[in-house]
Amino acid sequence: MSEPLAVVDNVSYQYPHAERFALTDLSLTVGRGEFVGLIGPTGAGKTTLCLAFNGIVPQFYGGRFFGYVRVAGLDTLESPVSALARHVGQVLQDPEIQLIATSVENEVAFALENIGLPRAQMRERIAWALDAVRLSGTESRHPSELSGGQKQRLAIAAGLAMRPNLLVLDEPTAQLDPVGAQEVFATVHELNRELGIAILLASHAAEELAEYADRLVLLAEGRIVTQGTTDEVYSQVDLLRQHHLRPPQVATTFYLIGGGRPDGRIPVRLDDGLRAFERLNGNLCPQPPDLPPPVSHPDPPLLSVKDLHHTYPDGTQALKGVSLDIHPGEYVLIAGQNGAGKSTLIRHFLHLLEPTAGVVRVGGEDASARPTSALARRVGYVAQNPDSQLFSRTVGEEVAFALHHLGYAEDEVERRVVENLDALGLLPERERHPFALPKGDRARVVIAAILALEPEAVIFDEPTTGQDYQGAHHILEISRRLHQMGKTIVVITHHLYLMPGYAERVIVMGRGTILLDAPIRQAFHDLETLGATYLTPPQAVILAQALARHAPGSGADAYPLLTPEEVAACVVGGEG
Amino acid sequence: MSTEPTGIEREVRPLSRVSIDGAPVTYIVVLAAVAAALAFVPFSTLLAFGGSFPISQGVFPLIGWLLGPVGGALASGVGRFAGAFLAPLTGGPIPLISAWSAAVGGFAAGAMAPREGRRWWWVPLTGLFLALWLALVARAVLVNGVALGIVLMYTLVNWSSILLFALPTRTLFVRWIEGDNLGLLSLGLFLGTWTIAGLSHLAASSPYYFIYNLPAEVMIPLFPIIPMENAFRGLIGAVIGAGVITGLRAIGLVKPTQATY
Repeated sequence: MSEPLAVVDNVSYQYPHAERFALTDLSLTVGRGEFVGLIGPTGAGKTTLCLAFNGIVPQFYGGRFFGYVRVAGLDTLESPVSALARHVGQVLQDPEIQLIATSVENEVAFALENIGLPRAQMRERIAWALDAVRLSGTESRHPSELSGGQKQRLAIAAGLAMRPNLLVLDEPTAQLDPVGAQEVFATVHELNRELGIAILLASHAAEELAEYADRLVLLAEGRIVTQGTTDEVYSQVDLLRQHHLRPPQVATTFYLIGGGRPDGRIPVRLDDGLRAFERLNGNLCPQPPDLPPPVSHPDPPLLSVKDLHHTYPDGTQALKGVSLDIHPGEYVLIAGQNGAGKSTLIRHFLHLLEPTAGVVRVGGEDASARPTSALARRVGYVAQNPDSQLFSRTVGEEVAFALHHLGYAEDEVERRVVENLDALGLLPERERHPFALPKGDRARVVIAAILALEPEAVIFDEPTTGQDYQGAHHILEISRRLHQMGKTIVVITHHLYLMPGYAERVIVMGRGTILLDAPIRQAFHDLETLGATYLTPPQAVILAQALARHAPGSGADAYPLLTPEEVAACVVGGEG
Repeated sequence: MSTEPTGIEREVRPLSRVSIDGAPVTYIVVLAAVAAALAFVPFSTLLAFGGSFPISQGVFPLIGWLLGPVGGALASGVGRFAGAFLAPLTGGPIPLISAWSAAVGGFAAGAMAPREGRRWWWVPLTGLFLALWLALVARAVLVNGVALGIVLMYTLVNWSSILLFALPTRTLFVRWIEGDNLGLLSLGLFLGTWTIAGLSHLAASSPYYFIYNLPAEVMIPLFPIIPMENAFRGLIGAVIGAGVITGLRAIGLVKPTQATY
C-alpha cells in the first residue's frame, strides 16, 4: 500500500441515545492516491465511518468515541471540522441537500471564502475545480438548473476546491439515474488517477466499484469483515450473500458456473467475464432455454391514458402524446432516464397533475373529474423519498392517518393498522417515531399506510433508491406479494437488474414518449432502445447476448435470459 | 447493550467549540431563521394597535427550552427582530420592543429548569416581571385613573404567568417536558407556553402602556381576547413542541447543554 494518508485506529463510536455501537474496534488505513470502496449492508456503519474522517462524527453528533482517526496527521477530535475540511472533501448521498448557493461559481467559492483565500487564488481554484469535474461553462447557472449528475459533480467540485488529499463519498450515486451515476464514477476515477486524490467511496453499485476501486472494505455491524482487492472481495460470493450484499452479476454468473479465469478465479468485471465466455466456447447448452410465454390480461384497463400531453408552467414538455393501458393484475416496470416523463405520467393517475391535453382514466372513470382523495383509495402511491410522506409522531398514527380522515370507524382503523403493520413486520415498532427507524423500515411504514387504504393498484416510484440489496428485495417482495393478491403493480426504477422475477411488462420512456412497451425478456434485450434513454441493462443480459453469439446458428435474441442463474444454467460443465 | 470497546475513550466536545452557553451557533442560527420565517404567518388581529401578531409568538418558549436561556434569548430576539422587518405586517408598533419581549420569553423559558449553578435564576426574573407588572398597574391606576379591577382583568394573563413562574409549577412543567409521557409533555408545553408567553407579553405590554396609555374603554373588550390569544399560543407551543421534541429525541441530535427536553 502507498504511504498512509488516513488512519483509523481501533475506533468505536456510539451515537447519543443509541443502545449499540455504530462502529466497533475498527482499524483501517487509506493510502495516498488510493481508491477504496466501502461496502456493507444498511446499518453497517458506512455513513458513520465516512463522517468520522472529517470529524463530524463525533464533533457534531456527540456520543461516545474510542480510539483515533488521523487524516494528514490531524487528530479528528483535536482539530476543528473547518481545519479537517482542508484535507477531506465530503460528498453526501443527496445532491439536493448539499448545495446552498445561488450560482455554480458561488457554490464552489463558499468554502474558499470561509477560509479567507485571496480573491485571485479563489478564482483560479474555482476554474480549476469546475474544469476537473467537467462543469466549466456553467459558472453563472443556478445549481437547481443542473441535472442530478451535474449537481453531484458540483458538490465534488466544492470539496475539491479546498484541494483535499482525500475525497469521501457516501453513496454519491444512490439518487442518480444511470447516466448521472456514470458521470460521477468517471469523474471520481479521473480525479483519483490524474490528480492522485485518495478516494473513499461507500456504495452498493457493485459493477462500478469492481471497475474502478483498487481495494474494497466490507463492513458489517460496525466491524470490518474483510478487505482486499476488488477481485478478492467480490469473488467471495458466499460471504457477500451472507451479509446481504450483491456481487457484480458477472461474478455471480461465474460463481454458479464454477470458475472462469485461467487462474481459476471468478471474473468480477464485465470485460473479464466476456473473455471468459470466449474460453467457454463449446460448453454452451445446445438449445435455447424453454422460457414461459408472456402473461396476458384480458380485462379492461384499470389505468389508462390516451394521447396525454403535459407541459409544466416553465414550458417544459414532460409528456408528448402518451397512450397506455395497464390492466388489472399486471406488474409493470416503467424505466427511462431522469426527465423521461415517468413520474409526470403516474402523477396523473392520482390527479396530482392536470393533463395539458388527453385523457386519463382510472377504472374507466375520468381521473381529472375525481379528487385526489377519491383516487388515492384506488391507487396507492409510494413516493421516491419515503421521508416526504411521513409526518406523524408514531408509526401507528402514520398508518391510521388517512383512515381517520376518510371517516373509517375506530375499530376498522385499528383492524387495518394492526393487519398492515403485521404484514410488513412493523407491529413491534408501532409506538416508535417513524424517523427513529432505518430508511428501509421508513419506506415500509409508507407502504403500510398506503396498503391500509386497500387500493387496487400500487405505484412504487423508485422504491429501491438508497436501499441496500436486501432492503431493495424486501420492498420488491412486498410488491410481489401484493401482485399475487391480485393487485396491479407499477414500479418505476433505474435498477433494471432488480426487476427480473418481478415485472412482466416493461415500458421504456424517453423525452416524454413511450419508446418501447414489451414483455420484460424482449425489452431488456433491446439494447438499442435502452441505450437511447441511457439505461444500463443487467450484466446478465450482456452475457446472454454473448452466449447467443457463441451458440452455433442462433441469433442475438435466441437466449433472452435475464439473470445470472439463467445464464449459468446455459453453460454446460464450465471450467471449474 | 454491546460489549465495551477495546480502544481508549476520548473526550467529545461540541462542534468546533462554536457554541454559546452550550448551544451550537448553528442551532441558534437555524432557530432564529425559523422564528423569522414564522413572522410571515399572521395569527390574530392586534386590536389595540392594529396589524397582527405572528404565529412565532407561540414558539419562543420552545426555542428557549431547546437552546437554554442564552441561546433561546438570542435566537428568539434576533429572529423576531429580523422578522419584524421581513414581515412588517406582524412586526408590532416598535420592532425593538417586539424583539426584547421575544428575547425575554426565550430566556425565561430556558431558565425554568433548575440547572446546576442556575438554581435561583427564577428569583431575579420573577422580580423583573413583578416590577414590569407593578409599573403597568401603577401607571394605569394612579396616573390614568383606571379602576384596579379593570387593570387586573386586563393583565390576567400577565399576573397568572408570574404566579405560575414563581411557584413550583415552574419545575413541574419542566419535569413534564423532560418526561416520556406524551400527554404530560403536551400539557407541560401548553402550560409552559402559557406562562412564558404571558411573561413575554408583559415585557412588551408594560413599555407599550407607558407610550399609549390605553384607557379603560380599550381594556374592557380585551378581557376575553388576551387570554384566548395566550391559550392559542399555548396550543401552538404544544402542537409544534411535541412534534419537535419527540423528533429530536428520536434522531438523537446533539442536545445543547442547557436544553430542557
